[in-house]
Amino acid sequence: MSGLEIDSLVKRFGDVEVIHGVSLRVEDGEFVVLVGPSGCGKSTLLRMIAGLDTISSGVIRIGGRTVNNVAPKDRDIAMVFQSYALYPHMTVARNMTFALELAGASKADIATKLSRAAGILGLQSLLDRFPRQLSGGQRQRVAMGRAIVRDPAVFLFDEPLSNLDAKLRVQMRAEIKGLQQRLGVTTVYVTHDQIEAMTMADKIVVLRDGVVAQIGSPLELYDRPANMFVGSFIGSPAMNLLKGRLEAGERPRFAMPGGPTIALTQAPRAALGRDIVLGVRPEHIALGGANAVAATVAVVEPTGAETYLNAKLGDEDIVCVLRERVAAMPGETLALGFDAAPLHFFDSQTGVALVD
Amino acid sequence: MTDAATPGAAADVGRPRGLLTAILRLAILFVLAGIVLLPLSTTVLDGFKDLGELHDNPIGLPRVWLWSNYWGILTGQRYWQVLGNSLLIAVVTVFLTLVVSSMAAFAFAHIKFFGDRYLFAYFQLGLLFPAVTAFLPLFIKIRDLGLLDSYWGIILPQVAFSLSMAILLLRNAFKQLPAELFDAALIDGCGYLGYFRHVTLPLSGPILSTVGVVGFVGSWNSYLLPLVVLNSDSRYPWTLGLMAYQGQYSTSWQLVLAFITLTILPAILMFLLAQRYIVAGLTAGAVKG
Repeated sequence: MSGLEIDSLVKRFGDVEVIHGVSLRVEDGEFVVLVGPSGCGKSTLLRMIAGLDTISSGVIRIGGRTVNNVAPKDRDIAMVFQSYALYPHMTVARNMTFALELAGASKADIATKLSRAAGILGLQSLLDRFPRQLSGGQRQRVAMGRAIVRDPAVFLFDEPLSNLDAKLRVQMRAEIKGLQQRLGVTTVYVTHDQIEAMTMADKIVVLRDGVVAQIGSPLELYDRPANMFVGSFIGSPAMNLLKGRLEAGERPRFAMPGGPTIALTQAPRAALGRDIVLGVRPEHIALGGANAVAATVAVVEPTGAETYLNAKLGDEDIVCVLRERVAAMPGETLALGFDAAPLHFFDSQTGVALVD
Repeated sequence: MTDAATPGAAADVGRPRGLLTAILRLAILFVLAGIVLLPLSTTVLDGFKDLGELHDNPIGLPRVWLWSNYWGILTGQRYWQVLGNSLLIAVVTVFLTLVVSSMAAFAFAHIKFFGDRYLFAYFQLGLLFPAVTAFLPLFIKIRDLGLLDSYWGIILPQVAFSLSMAILLLRNAFKQLPAELFDAALIDGCGYLGYFRHVTLPLSGPILSTVGVVGFVGSWNSYLLPLVVLNSDSRYPWTLGLMAYQGQYSTSWQLVLAFITLTILPAILMFLLAQRYIVAGLTAGAVKG
């Protein structure tokens, strides 16, 4: 059993509380991503799991064993850092086996583990090189090799792809995910990039200001965000958030102040007759349709596969991602349809999702 | 289209000015080099002359090369004895300075403990005044410790006085190592001592060399402290040995200069060997990150 449990974790730096009671359960072999904007506490959380920061209150259990006061080296974890943190004066081979060397493992044992990890990551030809002779991607692999060699119960990744260029990032994302599936090691991965979170995670933990905003699978978070923050954080371009009043009637209608009134096919009863924020993802808006409303085109951005349409719906800015080519000029009027779009209703005060 | 100034264009347009600048630059460099090298060459060359020629022709090449001046010193016992003393004192000073200051600097760089800022400031107080101002109380202390007329009476004060600069330089250098490296080492199973031994020291070659060489040269050339502390001839470093030499050869400047040349050599040699590290060490401390 190599799962990870976090129970009501609190972290204070002096008088300032930065993590306000986070609880989380990671199953054995699961890939969990901690995601959130800068300063939300995800790195602090990771460091507490690793043992690099002390815990103010709460419990962390790795493999069922409480590790609150256990030193990092005894927690059976391995960590990959944002800047790789490779020892500059050691060869790749020694970088990878340093931990084993310190633990007093036998030479044969070290050699076996090294060649296994090097084989998995394709590092065999680089073992005698120094970090300064390697490219960013290669250094990243060495950092992962260092983690794999230790055969830990939990892998910890602290924004490992942030220092790589966009193309390499896409490639490494798939590599890391593939590696984790192959090795089956419980993994906690921290990133600020929601795309990384969506593509790699079995389970995503969205953090904001030291509190968990929502925990769920990527598609759960996409389809059923529990609050406005998660709704707008997950998905790119971000979800459109339109302020207005949901009027009850034969069919529900969404009245935007300074904007059109949109007729909706359905709405949760809890949201009727209230001031709400209506969330609709750019990729779900269509052109035309029975209840389409007029919007003024601002900017048209063709990407080849899709067209990003920035328009104004009354006073509100709206972004649409359309599959078809749009030949509209700025200032023209287009009809946008919401009939087929999954809609999200949020309380305008608390931001909590309103569902039946 | 922006106009990029190509080297060819600049040369064509400003050729007269370019040449003048180059000549001026060379001239200044020659003058500066001359200022540094002339005393050195004079010292070396005058060791080959006899006293008369020294007065007539102090700067030029010797008319007759008197190898016996240098040879006499080299085959005498005195030279090797004073050199050996200087070397012993300098090496032990440097070793102790490096050991103590590197461990102190490491603690200051990585460990937060109660009073660390005050303790560090206390060590930096040593930078405020030259060692000479402390000689009287220093002498009394050395006497009270029973270290007069001994090597330790020189070594220990020298180590103490170099600690300020050494700890400052080393702490700043240690702090520049990435913090994540320490985190990685902690997870790998390295404690503070292990990190010091396996990571900090190997990566600090340049700055340790700088501190070492500065300490070595300082100790090699020290005159006042040995003068105050030592009494016996046999323990004199070369700076005091020279003084005695001068008494004996009250006017034999050519021998004095030959002797000086022979004693400067080790320091120059050490600098030449370590100069790559020294430059790296000095500039590494200057620029952050």
